[in-house]
Amino acid sequence: MSAAPGRTVEWPAPPETGGDRDEARPARRIEEGLLLVGVSHHTAPLEIRERLALDAAGVEEVLAGLESLPSVAEAVVLSTCNRTEAYVVPAGGRQGGIGDPDPGAVARDAERVLARCAPFPLPSLEPHLFRDRGPGVARHLFQVAAGVDSLVLGEAEIQGQVREALERATRNGIRRSMAGPVAHRLFEMALRVGGRVRSETGLGRGSGSVASVAVDLARRVFGPLRGRRVLVVGAGAHSELLVRALVREGVRGGIVVNRNLERATPLAALLGGIAVPLEDIAHALRDVDIVLCSTASRTPLLTHATFRDAFPRGGPRRPLLLIDLAVPRDVDPSIGDLPDVFLYNVDDLQSILDEHRARREEELPAAHRLVEDQLGEFLRWWSARSSASRIRLMRAAADRSREEELERVLRRLPGLTGRDREEIEAFSRRLANKILHGPTRLLREQAGDREGTGGEEGGGPWE
Amino acid sequence: MIHLTALALYGVAFALWLRSFLSGSAVPAAALAGGAAGAGVAFHFVGLASFSVESGTLPLAGLGPSLSSLALLLGGGLVSVALRGEEASRIGLLLTPVILVLQGTAIIVGIFPTSPTGLSGWFVVHVALALLGFQGLAIAAAAGALYLLQFQELKGRRFGRIARFVPPLAFLDRLVAVGLAVGASAMTGSLVLGWIWTRGQGGILSLGDPKIVWALLSWGVLWITLSTRFLGAHRGIRSARLSVAGFALVVTVYLALRIASGTAGRFL
Repeated sequence: MSAAPGRTVEWPAPPETGGDRDEARPARRIEEGLLLVGVSHHTAPLEIRERLALDAAGVEEVLAGLESLPSVAEAVVLSTCNRTEAYVVPAGGRQGGIGDPDPGAVARDAERVLARCAPFPLPSLEPHLFRDRGPGVARHLFQVAAGVDSLVLGEAEIQGQVREALERATRNGIRRSMAGPVAHRLFEMALRVGGRVRSETGLGRGSGSVASVAVDLARRVFGPLRGRRVLVVGAGAHSELLVRALVREGVRGGIVVNRNLERATPLAALLGGIAVPLEDIAHALRDVDIVLCSTASRTPLLTHATFRDAFPRGGPRRPLLLIDLAVPRDVDPSIGDLPDVFLYNVDDLQSILDEHRARREEELPAAHRLVEDQLGEFLRWWSARSSASRIRLMRAAADRSREEELERVLRRLPGLTGRDREEIEAFSRRLANKILHGPTRLLREQAGDREGTGGEEGGGPWE
Repeated sequence: MIHLTALALYGVAFALWLRSFLSGSAVPAAALAGGAAGAGVAFHFVGLASFSVESGTLPLAGLGPSLSSLALLLGGGLVSVALRGEEASRIGLLLTPVILVLQGTAIIVGIFPTSPTGLSGWFVVHVALALLGFQGLAIAAAAGALYLLQFQELKGRRFGRIARFVPPLAFLDRLVAVGLAVGASAMTGSLVLGWIWTRGQGGILSLGDPKIVWALLSWGVLWITLSTRFLGAHRGIRSARLSVAGFALVVTVYLALRIASGTAGRFL
């Protein structure tokens, strides 16, 4: 990976959250400072993922569990229908004489917390877990936020879910904020690159599901769908998905037609309309703009005879959109030949979906370039942050030495006046600053020089 | 110079809309196109306003000034549609070529005053209403052409670049209706005023006069097309077809009468 040529980003010093775990954290390699454990649609089947799909309370339980681990400084949990991932920043610095925790051990602790909160036996979960550390964690999160790693390529919902994950990890009044400077920076950059990918590439364009294709088609015919009326033939799961998608677009009122009125009533309530028996289908056709069909009927329910009953003067007098998801079809295909009737069956919708997917896949290289650019910025930030930690440690050590030597000198010169003591102290500070100036500049330059090397941590003069 | 600048800006707008259409990527080229068209209208307005101030007369008499005024009206109509949103503005793909032809022709023949004396109030209103009538027909035709394009795409179950670029059918249908309503009303007003003014001058309205023929034809096209919105089924597709055909007929008859009139006499 490489940063954009000629681009240097100066990041301000990360906000300090305070607390024992953040102070005097030593500089360390990113491989030891950033971990990821979780499951996704790539590694686990649905029956595993659905057990681990956490609601707000579940996420809170995991965060509380991670907070109780002394080895964890920061954590954010992202849980959707297709992934549950914990982004963890291990604690660093001396804690009662114990050194930095082993990243592998921290990861295992996080896995145990996830398994306990699901609940899911860890031995059964382990084959489906994926783990990462260092730059790969950041790259993964950036790809997730950009929709590159989604089941539906380029889907936009994940952007909001990433934002929500960060918000949930902040202080909630009961536990401390688990989102510290690293998590904040990481997730803010993820949201930024997600926005850039969606605005600068075509990855997010085009529908990703049958329901969204149906909505797009309806919008192409009618424009904004607010106030449009829909006729739903069949009250099954497919119909409900489409109705929900249309209701989100402002469709209100309509008719649900079903053999069993009891099954039709809840869907009619969702639509803000009424449920009528199948025998009234012709009458129901007259005042609607959109017709959704998805029944288990073996023969067409909407035929030319139905249309003649509904429209005695030969077809609807304004555009009518029919979406027939049934197999065998609910709508006689020749109905589509009527003027002002737009008829789409399940094959038509699938070919639209396939075309959209192909177009989105063409945008993947551009999306990946943006992700790598953002990763380069994150690594430069990490490097500068580590450099700042080293500089602080170096200065702290130098200051301790200066104070020791100053005390020794002042003990040997008891006859000094107060002004003399101040002069000597000021001299010691100036001397220390001049001596440290060179090494400080070298450390900062090393952090800046890592633009071409991906920001990987390496040894410095004090390691 | 100002008129040329306006022409260039209209050209930029058209190029941006065309690029957006061909690439299948609407934003941001299409959004910029609306801005370019707006800037073109602003320059164009300043150009014609300067003409009026310098010549002491409105740019409604003579071929050059009247074509330029019609182009400005079309540009203004396009900008008012574009204010409804970026998707609505894509009608500029068809309107800007018309504006370019009108303004380009006006620049070639020269935008200079032809009436040594000022224009009467009657004449000004009469011509302004006539130009508004043609504006309505042009907008209806552009919207109608896009309606037909979108209709064919959706009917053929194609949901590709064209279907995504062209505005929704319902919007285009409304635009056709508004264009026809405005055009028909304005043209009626223009004809009535023209008749009153001619009778007041003691003149005779002769069906041998090319201007009268063309005005009546245009008026007839507008009202026949408008009537399809109230009579019969499939109003959207029918009025779209008639708008396009009617516009083509009006333009063709204009050109034919112009050529037949030659340089002798004044047709327009």
